[in-house]
Formats: sequence, C-alpha cells, structure tokens
Amino acid sequence: MFEWIAAHPYETIALLLVPAVPLLFFQLLPLLVVLERRGAAFIQDRPGPNRAGIPIPGLGFQLRAFGLIYNLCDFIKLAVKEDFVPRFAASRFYYVVGPFIPLIAGLILPAFIPVFAPIAYASGDGVAWLAGQGIASHSGLLALFAFAGLSAYGLVLGSWAANSKYALLGGLRASAMMISYEVAIGLAAAGMFLICGTFDLARIVAWQGEHVWGIIVQPLGFLLFTAAAFAESNRTPFDVVEGESEIVAGFHTEYGAMRFMLVMSAEYFHMLVAAALISTLFLGGYHLSPIPLPLGPDGAWVALDDRWMREHIGSVTAVLLIALALLALYAARLVERRRRHYVASGASDAARRGREYRFYTGLFLALAGLAGLAAWALWGWSEAPRIIAGTAVWGWKVDLLTAIVQFHILIAKTLCLAWLFVWVRWTLPRFRYDQIMALGWKVLLNAALVNLLLTALLVKLIG
Amino acid sequence: MFPHLDATLADLYFALLALAALICGVGMVLARHPLNAAVLLIGVMLSLAGIYALLDAPFLAVLQVLVYAGAVMMLMVFVIMVLNRARSDVPRCDWLSVGASAASLLLTALLASTLAQRELAAHPAAVRGEPEPISALLFAPAQGWWLLFVAIGVTLLTAVVGAVLLAKRSLDTEPKAAEDDHAH
Repeated sequence: MFEWIAAHPYETIALLLVPAVPLLFFQLLPLLVVLERRGAAFIQDRPGPNRAGIPIPGLGFQLRAFGLIYNLCDFIKLAVKEDFVPRFAASRFYYVVGPFIPLIAGLILPAFIPVFAPIAYASGDGVAWLAGQGIASHSGLLALFAFAGLSAYGLVLGSWAANSKYALLGGLRASAMMISYEVAIGLAAAGMFLICGTFDLARIVAWQGEHVWGIIVQPLGFLLFTAAAFAESNRTPFDVVEGESEIVAGFHTEYGAMRFMLVMSAEYFHMLVAAALISTLFLGGYHLSPIPLPLGPDGAWVALDDRWMREHIGSVTAVLLIALALLALYAARLVERRRRHYVASGASDAARRGREYRFYTGLFLALAGLAGLAAWALWGWSEAPRIIAGTAVWGWKVDLLTAIVQFHILIAKTLCLAWLFVWVRWTLPRFRYDQIMALGWKVLLNAALVNLLLTALLVKLIG
Repeated sequence: MFPHLDATLADLYFALLALAALICGVGMVLARHPLNAAVLLIGVMLSLAGIYALLDAPFLAVLQVLVYAGAVMMLMVFVIMVLNRARSDVPRCDWLSVGASAASLLLTALLASTLAQRELAAHPAAVRGEPEPISALLFAPAQGWWLLFVAIGVTLLTAVVGAVLLAKRSLDTEPKAAEDDHAH
C-alpha cells in the first residue's frame, strides 16, 4: 500500500480530496455562526456576544477571540445536556435518525464543487489529470441537486416522528418548499448549462475563466438562483419551515441537546454549500477576474484563466497577500480605535481589556508583516512548464501554490456570499407562507422560464 | 485514472446494493404503515441508483436520485403526512394486494421478455451525462423521439390543468389560499 502511495502521489491526492474538501468546508461552520451572531448585532446596532473568554495564564487577560469562544461554550453545553426522546414520539426510530439525514446528505455536497483547476501530471508517456474536485462527474451539478434534495427527508421524517403539531406543520412546509423551489433553482441554473454546454461544474468554471463570469452573461439567472437558494436553505425571508413567530421552531421544536446541534449545523452547512455553489456557477469559482484584463504583453486583453494564473502565480499570490496585509492593517486600526475608546471610558476592567486589545493589534500587525514578507519573496516567481504530448505540465511547486490560491479565492467568495445571507436575514422581513408559495410558483418559476427561453435564443443566434 | 475498480469489489458492491434493494422492496410490500412503506421505497430507489452508478451510468443514477428518490417520493411522503389517516392496523394481505401483485408480476414478465428479445445499446457518452449526445438522441428528427417528448409534455400539462380544476370547488371560486390572502 505504501509503495502504491509513493508511486502514485497524484492518485492518492485524488482519493484524499473526497473526504478532505467536505471537511475543509465543515470546519468553516464556527466562523459562520460567529458571522451570523456578530452580523446580527452589527445590523441591530448592539455589541453582540462578546463576554465569554478564556483566561490565558501569564498574559493577564481573557482571550475572547471576537465571539469565537461562544461556539466552544455552546458545544460543551449541548454535548453534556440530556439526550432525550419525547415520550409522545410517534416513532423513536425516525426521531433519532431524522437529524442525521440532512447532515450526511449535506456532507457529500462540497465534494462535487471544483475547488481548484485540474492539474496535469506526467503519467507514463502521456499526461493524466488530477481533478480539482472530490468527485469529478459529467453530471456533477445534478448530483449536487439530488443529494441536497434528499436532505429534506430528515426534516420531514424527524418532524413527523416528533408527533407535535408545530413540528408536523414545519415538516409539511419543508417538503412543500423543497418541491416548489427545486424546480425554480434548476431552471435558473439551466441558462448556464446552455451557455457552457455542460452539466460539469469543472467545465462551467473553466468556461467562466476563459470568457466572463456567469453573473455577467446571466444576471437574471444569478438573481433567481440566489433567491431560490435562500429558499432551499430555509433562510429568512423564506424561513417558514422554522417560522419562530408562527410555529415555535418548526420541524425541530421537539429536538434538544446534540440532536438540535445536528439540525443547526446541517442548516448552516447547506447555507455554506449554497454560497459555494453560487460562487461556482455565477461568480467564476476559483477565478480571479470577472472580465479579461489588459495585462498581456503591450497591454493586450487577456482572460485571467488557469493557464495565465500558473504563468504568473508568484505575482498573483503576492498581490493577494498585499490585499490581505491591508485588510489586517485595517483590522488592527479598528481594534486600536476600540481600545482607546474603551480605556477612555474608564471602565473598571479597562486595563485588562486594554491588554487584550493590544494583543489582537499585535496579532494583526504580525499577520500583515508576514503577508508582506511573503508577497515580497513571491513577487515575479514562476516556473516554465514542460510540454508533454502537447499539454503543459507544471512543476509541483507551481501546482501546489496555484491550488492553494484558487481554493482560497473560492472560499473568500463563499464567505462574502455567506455574509450576504446574514445581511438579508437581518434586513428583510419574512414572508407569509402563501406569499412564498405564490412567489415560488408564479414569479420565480416563470421568470426562470423566460430567462431560459431568452438564453436559448441568444445562444442559438450568437452560436 | 484510478486502477480500475476491482472486479470482485464491484461484485461485492453489486451484491450489497442488490440485497439492500430486495430487502427494502419486500419490506415495502409488507410494511403496514404507509410512511414505512414510503421510506423503504426510497431505499429501493437509492439502491437502484447505486447499481446504475456501478454500471457506469452515473447520469441515470443521478436522475434516479433526483427525480424518483427526491421529488416523486417527497410528494408521496407529503401526501401521507397531509392526509394523516395513516393506520397501522390494515391487513397485510387482501384481494387488492393479490391483484396488484399479479398485475406487477405480469408487467415484469412482459418487460423481461421484451428486454430478452432486443439487443440493448446505449451511447457511452450519453449515460455518462454529457448533454450533447443525449440531446442528439432525443431531438434527432429522424428518430422521432422528440414527438414522444412533446406528447409527454402535453400529457403533463393536461394533468396539471386537471389538478387545478379538482382543487377548485367549482369553476367560479378562487382556490382557498387566495381567500386567506384577503383575510390577513
């Protein structure tokens, strides 16, 4: 086995990608929870969760880490709470199994999303390709929809098993929502299928790199897809499945402790996957620029596709690192301003908090410095490819750096969209149930059909 | 790219999936509660999807999950939950189920004999899910499949119109949701 791994490094990576990509997405969940809580607080003009902290011996202050510690508290609280099944449950089995289904069905989903460009490597006399996604399939996007649809069963069965009217209403709504918006989301994406001529997500992303981003050729499709994705992930303004003001907590009313956490993490995970899918379909996936830029020799307009990226990988990384350094400097400035404000307020713990803020400022400054140093070292670096059987095969250093940079570009877009999800949740009022059904069937579906028709005509005319 | 899936391993997968499909299928027929039957039917469909994927037809597998295990069964579960008349005390076997079993056996025999007489051919790119060969097969004017496609579309439209008509109590009244709309 170890000989096989040593002899087939790229095949081993391809196998490892299947669990690695979903796990990399999964570990973003705590960040998403903080984004939601602090985002809500920011929009409602209140401090938000900022009390829980871990005392670090020797430093003389509590490390609060911008609310991240609350995740730890929640986890401990939910993990040690009593694990119960209500006595009135209609079915113990479905009650227990229900919350697992959305999470398991959801965990497969990121494996279909291309997180970096396919990498060519020498294999025998020819060239083989390492796909930039866990499961490379010609019907990848359809498979993603299929498994995302399955997750609704967990909600439906779990809510039925809980045997409470609120839960059952929530479950019914979940299945109705899934049926209604599944159609609209598929039709909204169909425009991109027509333009790129494939269901293969890797080829859709490659097309966007060579031409323009999907949002430019399919603006209406992007809007419809985003709206339907909000509905599919049961986020406000489409959160009738939980509907706090109507049916307590909807399908998970009777769930507590770790089962509740399973339900909630599945929900956030689906939101994350929806954001990643929107980035992949309409925002260029792992590509950097929405349009070709005049960066070629003599100011020629070139598409910043995968090949261009590999040719200029050192400089591209350097530019991104400088952007990161500027962001870190801005964060340091924010924290420093906050520290001055707090110390000047004369609070009893001003000295302690002041030390903590200083610590964060130091961290951000160190990050900015490191990023700047790395940018200075990487500027202009790249290696020439070998040409094997007419295909450019790059060195492993270029490939590795490109894969890392492309993955982070995708994650950055995904997190920006996740912020959009939070922003919308705390900005728009929620719809009533019948309004949502009317919107889904009478507006989104018809608009998606018109969009599809127009796209088909344009594709036929332009060629 | 990978060393091709070992033949014995593929056989093992097939055996597991086929066993799962059989167990779920028999369980579905014998289940007393309709929700159990529905869930077991989902199990049958997922196992079949696995077998399709094993036969190098991922497109078929994905459609099986998307359309049958996903949409159709979700609709069935929805109906079971809305009606909420599910009882667990129905008899396992009555004349209706005997007739239904006989009819489905007959259909299976018919299907098997048809399949045995015809040579099966599939476009390898089409079963992998590339849209071009699928649409070429479906919409080639000579083959006439597009006529079937249009006919299915019209049939579905008729069914939708029929459902809307049934949902209204009489032709003059609006559906109930619209009345609620004014009440709020």
